Amino acid sequence: MMGILSNLISGISLGSIYAIIALGYTMVYGIAKMLNFAHGDVIMVGAYICYCAISYLGLPPLVGIVMAICVCTVLGIVIEGLAYKPLRSAPSLAVLITAIGVSYFLQNSALLIWKSDPKVFPSIVKSMQPVQLFGGQLAISGITIVTVLCCVVVMTCLTLFISKSKTGKAMRAVSEDKVAAQLMGINVNGTISVTFAIGSGLAAVAGVLLCSAYPTLIPTTGAMPGIKAFTAAVFGGIGSIPGAMLGGILLGIIELFAKSYISTQFSDAIVFAVLIIVLLIKPTGLLGKKVSEKV
Amino acid sequence: MMLSVENIDVFYGAIHAIKGISFDVNEGEIVALIGANGAGKSTTLKTISGIMHPRNGKITFLGEDITHTDGYKLPAKGLAQVPEGRRIFLQMTVMENLEMGAFVQKKPTEEDFENVFTHFPRLKERRSQIAGTLSGGEQQMLAMGRALMSHPKLLMLDEPSMGLAPILVEEIFNIIREFHAAGTTILLVEQNAEMALQVADRAYVLESGVIALSGTGKELAESDAIKKAYLGG
Ligand SMILES: Nc1ncnc2c1ncn2[C@@H]1O[C@H](COP(=O)(O)OP(=O)(O)OP(=O)(O)O)[C@@H](O)[C@H]1O
Ligand SMILES: [Mg+2]
Repeated sequence: MMGILSNLISGISLGSIYAIIALGYTMVYGIAKMLNFAHGDVIMVGAYICYCAISYLGLPPLVGIVMAICVCTVLGIVIEGLAYKPLRSAPSLAVLITAIGVSYFLQNSALLIWKSDPKVFPSIVKSMQPVQLFGGQLAISGITIVTVLCCVVVMTCLTLFISKSKTGKAMRAVSEDKVAAQLMGINVNGTISVTFAIGSGLAAVAGVLLCSAYPTLIPTTGAMPGIKAFTAAVFGGIGSIPGAMLGGILLGIIELFAKSYISTQFSDAIVFAVLIIVLLIKPTGLLGKKVSEKV
Repeated sequence: MMLSVENIDVFYGAIHAIKGISFDVNEGEIVALIGANGAGKSTTLKTISGIMHPRNGKITFLGEDITHTDGYKLPAKGLAQVPEGRRIFLQMTVMENLEMGAFVQKKPTEEDFENVFTHFPRLKERRSQIAGTLSGGEQQMLAMGRALMSHPKLLMLDEPSMGLAPILVEEIFNIIREFHAAGTTILLVEQNAEMALQVADRAYVLESGVIALSGTGKELAESDAIKKAYLGG
């Protein structure tokens, strides 16, 4: 019983990281109608920046996180401006190949700068003791609590931002109809940049959380979580923000249970099998529908 | 002069859609642009509102050269367009659509909304409804109301009567008259030449990307060539 509960909590925690990454995929897809396959590698860059700030510069973790967010936000804007903006009216296959190219570019750059040896990511919640429940039968680590809290905060802020703020409404307008949005006086290119900035800033947060939970950092660290989060976004219904959240958390739980009760080696295959089944039954994903809130 | 279009050439790739047309709109006028399918009416409006840019020629709005201005900067200068096919934001509510119309202002005021609702009382009843669930006529009203939210000096309408029942067409044209009476200059694109020529001070007839005829609404309505080609007689 405690085992199930413990796995569930770990699953929600891992899923929260997937969810934060999936938000970036889904927002960019909603607004630019493209799959930004370099998104996973932005996570890795964020983790390295935070690592450098803490381990090389001796800065406090919070400063490291803020630096990672800033660098990734700028990186997102630069990637969009240099690689994707010139292809705005190009066929989607060309954009997809470019995204894969950007992904390799980021990984290779990281290899040059930080080399291939794994870095041991420092804990960002050193001072926090695990919470003991049921007389010590169940321990929840500090990073688990921080991760889930982060996810809740991100989700709440983002939902409010999209539904209430002027920029958020502009994002919805652009995602629905770029020409009409422009006729309203909305700067479409600027709005797309803002979307990349937000998605990449969130990727930095996810990168730090991911490496705090699984503290080995190499240049390909972002690749697999990136693919999983992309899966989560599709699972939940690509373009839908609540869908990304739900998809991410479910994916994390399924992965953890598959690892614990079926097979560690096969867990990823099981995750993708579940995705395929869901898509066969509901091709738009769990929360994806024609008239859903898209960004 | 409010708007002046001088000798513009507009292309879609190799297709030469607008071939050196010139026309102008004076403050306080209703000017109609009529013509058959594919004549280039929508292309002309899209070029004025900066969705497309001409290869040659010049567009001046309120004395300012806007030929190559980014389209999104034009609403703040007083230009609004109700596009062909309405293009309201189907997943947003009626109120949110109207808010988007006022995007270039800091924040839309109660009066801005009330102003739209006096022209379109039906929108007020449906203010919280998702726009995609409105009827075709209501969607056209929303598209027009949305454009009104920015208090445009020049309002361009692309086939506002398209697909509407005759009684609604009548209503839409009455509302265009109301807009005009309230001081908005109007550039109206229509296939419904009869209705358009009734409201228009002046009109231009577009044929395959060139202006074939022009004159006052009354002159054109009585001209034999127009009667034959567009008024079914
Ligand atoms: N996106 C496009 N790509 C290529 N050609 C186009 C495009 N849009 C319009 N055209 C062509 O340009 C010409 C003018 O089209 P436009 O839409 O301006 O006509 P219109 O007068 O508005 O017609 P309608 O009354 O049917 O709306 C047509 O020959 C059309 O085929
Ligand atoms: Mg047209």
